[in-house]
Amino acid sequence: MAFTLLVNGVQYSVDAEQETPLLWVLRDSIGLTGTKYGCGIGQCGACTVLMDGNAVRSCFMQAGRAVGRKITTIEGLSPDGSHPAQLAWKEFDVPQCGYCQSGQILTAVALLEKKPKPTDADIDAQMTNACRCGTYHRIRQAIHRAAALRGQ
Amino acid sequence: MSEKTPEKKTEMDRREFLTTTATVGGAMVLGFWMPLSAEAANMPVAPTPWYREAAVPEINAWITIAPDDTVTIRVGQTELGTGVFTANPMMVAEELQCDWKKVRAEYASANRDAREKAPEWTLKVPGNGESDPGGAAPVELENAKGVYRRMIIHSSGNVRESRYYLQLAGAEARERLLLAAANEWGVPVSELVAKDSVITHAKSKRRTTYGAIAAKAARTPLPDPSKIKIKTPDKYTLLGTEQKSLDVPLKVTGEAIYGIDIRLPGMLYAAVKACPVWGGDVQSYNFDRIRNMPGVHSVVRLPFDSLTKSVGFLCGGVAAIADSWWRAKTALDALPVEWNYGSGAGVSSTSLYDLHLATGKQPGEAKTNDGNVDEAMARAAKVVEAVYSVPFSPRARMEPGNATVLVTDNRVDIWSGDQDPQGLLRRAAKLTGITPENVYIHSTFQGGGYGSNGNGPQGEQAVAVANAVRGRPVKMLWTREEDWGTGTKYRPMSVCLMKAGLDAQGWPIAMEVRHATTWSLGDMGYRGLSAPPYFIPNYRLTIHAPKTHVPIGTRRGTGAAPNGFYMESFIDELANIAGKDPYMYRRELISRNPAEPKQGVGGFVHRDDFVRALDMVAKMSGWGTPLPEGWARGIAIDDRRRPTRTTSTICAQVHTVEVTKAGKLTHHRVDVVFEQGFALMNPLSVRKQIEGQIAWGYDDTMYQATTLEEGHAIERNFDKFPVSRMNEYPKQVNIQFMKTNRWITGAGEEAIPQIPPAILNAVFKITGKRFRSIPLKSHDLSWG
Ligand code: FES
Ligand code: FES
Repeated sequence: MAFTLLVNGVQYSVDAEQETPLLWVLRDSIGLTGTKYGCGIGQCGACTVLMDGNAVRSCFMQAGRAVGRKITTIEGLSPDGSHPAQLAWKEFDVPQCGYCQSGQILTAVALLEKKPKPTDADIDAQMTNACRCGTYHRIRQAIHRAAALRGQ
Repeated sequence: MSEKTPEKKTEMDRREFLTTTATVGGAMVLGFWMPLSAEAANMPVAPTPWYREAAVPEINAWITIAPDDTVTIRVGQTELGTGVFTANPMMVAEELQCDWKKVRAEYASANRDAREKAPEWTLKVPGNGESDPGGAAPVELENAKGVYRRMIIHSSGNVRESRYYLQLAGAEARERLLLAAANEWGVPVSELVAKDSVITHAKSKRRTTYGAIAAKAARTPLPDPSKIKIKTPDKYTLLGTEQKSLDVPLKVTGEAIYGIDIRLPGMLYAAVKACPVWGGDVQSYNFDRIRNMPGVHSVVRLPFDSLTKSVGFLCGGVAAIADSWWRAKTALDALPVEWNYGSGAGVSSTSLYDLHLATGKQPGEAKTNDGNVDEAMARAAKVVEAVYSVPFSPRARMEPGNATVLVTDNRVDIWSGDQDPQGLLRRAAKLTGITPENVYIHSTFQGGGYGSNGNGPQGEQAVAVANAVRGRPVKMLWTREEDWGTGTKYRPMSVCLMKAGLDAQGWPIAMEVRHATTWSLGDMGYRGLSAPPYFIPNYRLTIHAPKTHVPIGTRRGTGAAPNGFYMESFIDELANIAGKDPYMYRRELISRNPAEPKQGVGGFVHRDDFVRALDMVAKMSGWGTPLPEGWARGIAIDDRRRPTRTTSTICAQVHTVEVTKAGKLTHHRVDVVFEQGFALMNPLSVRKQIEGQIAWGYDDTMYQATTLEEGHAIERNFDKFPVSRMNEYPKQVNIQFMKTNRWITGAGEEAIPQIPPAILNAVFKITGKRFRSIPLKSHDLSWG
């Protein structure tokens, strides 16, 4: 029942049930632990990854359905933390506990792909990930900054 | 306790495993992760931040210095988002006078703390308490005799309790570096200057670096370490400046390792189901039904007995162990379990509310009884009565409870982010019968905390599971539902009966507060209520203690959160009845306190600073200036002061809120005045804490409650326990710090108590509806 997943440009052969949520295959089979578990029911966004450029909640998707798709996790965003979103996140010192931030950053990256200059209303509509530490204020500023950095 | 499927039994080579563990405490784990990014190698915090035995000169237990001048500072407290990994190194580095750009942080070791006594020079608290710039705020370290003193993180106490000895640690190391250089050059130490990790002797134009002299300094004791003094805030150069968090670079790449991320060779995974009713236990289960499911290893019973109770279990349960967590969880979901629910099974939130209300009407224990309340109430021009309440609520952190544990016959290793590493170490020893000196905690980052004992018995349960499969490391992870439903303690439900007698002008001449709460921990039930800041000449507070089976613990804001909600809402009601502006009404009642300060009625020690904070927040928020229809401002003030102390953190807030006629609320703007005392360690970190508390307090106001039915929690995941998102966060947040002449209590929760009353006071102004319970989701806000 092994299957193959393309994650961060690498083909991984996975030995797990196809119906295992993608989240657990990423974390436990492949070892990419930057993607976090928060609710398991598609509500919190801690498990967000990019699939063909769209933000998806990996706890709610069977791994088998990700076969043949291009998956990007936080580890694959840049080799050295230099993606504009990561730079902006550091500039505004966004994370507190940090647990939700992989998901926040990837959701922001997907937003910036679609709307290179997002308005506050765009941010409100797209950034639906929960942050229990309440870092929203800085996430908003960092997204605007990341948009500016991308434009340069 | 364990039933094993023989064919799955694969003992790993324990000796090999332990050797690797012992070598570098982490290197062997690294092989199991993605290689570190190029940047990670130079980051100020390692992805695996736990304690390492020093490979470079160690000056004292907090500080090692490498030949290239890298200073590694050890942090006793757990980084769960409050900034200790930055503020604590800053306190050390301020005195050490080293180059901040070359500072790294890692965890201190609870194991070392169990083995090594605190140095003499850390034991005496300098100065004269919180009103002395050279002193420290009240420090409660009686039980912390180990080298790292107070490792538990709670009560906003990190800076308050550890500042003085972290400053001492930095100063002790600096003095030894200077002495070593003086000895080498044969010059008096008084002629040397230390700055940015460089020591210079002006007269002879000699210089050396910390890295070059560190090995000597490590062998150079001070003749009299009791002479070391700490800097007063006017001498600070690093403290008080805004410094970015050292751990942030790791938290934007996914590299920061939390407890949930640990992966070890040969590791098994465990999922746990605890009895949904606290105090209950497993009656029976049928392992045969899941024995042959993929990857299943065994089932471990977690009994609720005197031993497990003594280490913090809240009920009994079962753990399924498998070769992956998803398989363990899938098997556990299929495992038939019969529960013995125990005596809590018949209880609901409604029955508990009735019980609280009834208990509140019975005689209670008087905490304050000033003047003659009954006589004054009898002659009041008007008597006002109101019943307020809050529901049960968990801290609800993001990272579900977990720990990875390896128990062998003579050693326990725990990888975990835990708020109380010293306590976990002791409890692990107790559970396994292995001496505390042989328990090792490898601390990781933690995904939120928000209150002491915030992580529940995650580590203890994991130890119990791993103890049943000795020789194999086991990662135990709770589902979100387990974490919020059975693994945590709750801020208790409470009901507060308030009654005031007003004179003809609407000023209170008497107040009676009857607070029914199960919160018997310390002053939780009466902090903020036993001595309100308002001058009320006849005042009585009684505490009424109903009994419930629900586990009760402290939650961000502690007792000040519900108590502040009650007092700051009721005072607003009185202002309205008196026909006076709620800001001016508060201001007048605070100013009426006599000048001679004492706690409680007849004087209020922070009188003038309270008035100043109110004035500041009114000004910055534009209090009294016009707003559109359906908008209003609400005000509240609190200082989380404890009845037995004078330390405080005064925080005044104005919330600007809109409610549509259909009842939809928008939180537009928050203005915050926050006491900074003599100095904040890292003002950036405090700002972030306040910003976060605004979301936190808003969630309490709007959404959050744990409802009980048949003795168990209904809201166990994000679907029923909402957390606000970006779109609800106010677009405008203004924060001003207010200087005062004392050390503050802390900053982790001091902006929480004001939020529900300030929002509800604004809602009243708009809708004319006075809501006396939270969350607002259960109320109809429509108006007009
Ligand atoms: S863990 Fe997937 S949305 Fe919460
Ligand atoms: S930073 Fe802690 S949950 Fe978002």
